[in-house]
Amino acid sequence: MADRKLLCEVVSPENIVYSGEADMVVALGIEGELGIMPQHIPIVTPLALGELRIFNGGQREFVAVLGGYLEFRENKLTILADAAELSHEIDIARAEAKRLAREQEIAEAKASGKMLLEAEVSLRKALVRLRVAQKG
Amino acid sequence: MSKARAVLSRIKSVESTRQITKTMEMVATAKIKRAQSRIEAARPYAIKMVDVLNSVAQHVGAGSHPLLEVHEETKNVVIIPVTSNRGLCGAFNMNILRRAEAIYREETAQGREVSFVAVGRKGAGYLRFAGYNIIAAHTEFTDRPTFIEATAVADQVVEMYEEGSIDKVYIVFNHFKSALEQKPTTHQLLPIKQEEISGGEAETGGTSVEHEFEPDAVRVLYDLLPRYVNTVVLRALMESAASEHAARRIAMKNATDSATEMIENLTRWYNRARQAQITQEIAEIVGGANALQEA
Repeated sequence: MADRKLLCEVVSPENIVYSGEADMVVALGIEGELGIMPQHIPIVTPLALGELRIFNGGQREFVAVLGGYLEFRENKLTILADAAELSHEIDIARAEAKRLAREQEIAEAKASGKMLLEAEVSLRKALVRLRVAQKG
Repeated sequence: MSKARAVLSRIKSVESTRQITKTMEMVATAKIKRAQSRIEAARPYAIKMVDVLNSVAQHVGAGSHPLLEVHEETKNVVIIPVTSNRGLCGAFNMNILRRAEAIYREETAQGREVSFVAVGRKGAGYLRFAGYNIIAAHTEFTDRPTFIEATAVADQVVEMYEEGSIDKVYIVFNHFKSALEQKPTTHQLLPIKQEEISGGEAETGGTSVEHEFEPDAVRVLYDLLPRYVNTVVLRALMESAASEHAARRIAMKNATDSATEMIENLTRWYNRARQAQITQEIAEIVGGANALQEA
């Protein structure tokens, strides 16, 4: 019975974001999506900016993970996120405002022929958070 | 009796000072708790990080990353003193700066070039005034350090270390031992010491497992190590923030206590003066009455 589920923990440098059991967790690694189920082989991989889906029984939990690491071993999954937010904790208005501000910044930068890597990363973060927030 | 009146206004002024220091003491007390719980909250991440690093390092072998590599010759050293943005916290900042200066002397004695990355307004101001070589100053931090702030500090030194323009980095911060004790601590940030990321198993309780790495172990190590440096810096910032509140609480408690004592002394003086005046007035009246009777 103990092996039918895995233990999932999402930790950021500032706090523990999520901790609980799961049947399956789907994360976006830098090489593509990967689903972790109980008894998965021990693995370590960096994560891209993206959503994390935690399936437990009939319940689903969405987490916006803004870069970080995934480690699985001994039936315990640990996500070391640079930053992470549960879908229902995301401040949609703030993310939306950020998205608009960044889009404008990028449009201006493009007009003047500049590259703005940081703004683009920031925009993608805002987009991920919005997408995750709408699911929760 | 203008002097008595002056004392009276002095008492009032000390009283209002005491009210301020007392408030600051209470605010600091509340903030210590919150800062402390933030340190606690950050611990799982740090422990897990070392855990994963451990496993990766075993896999790839030691010394296979620029941040682990000890430069052949140590010529340029960077010291990061973590101070506060605000004063009124006793010897908090001076302890750090004195420690940093001690390292400075030690390193320059060996013919090395030493420069500073100042964290906190107090440290930046002092170092600039003393004429040290400052590479950067981070003074916009709040007392709730975030990962992003830590990254800002760490990224710069990591980059310089990888380029080879610096060979060693120390971070000096107040370690929060308890609300009553903060210990200035020096930590070698770069190169990362081997024993820091390996052999930590007893502490974490985990057994070493052969992981699969995606895309591969070297890539994972390259991604992980700079992040590790960030977490070490973040921890130093958090420890320092908690220590600052603790130091301020003690400083403010002392200030409140001495204000109380001062008020007591002044009040005593004032009462005596008032008494003396009354006694004198009575003596004068009695003297006057006696003179009249005799006349």
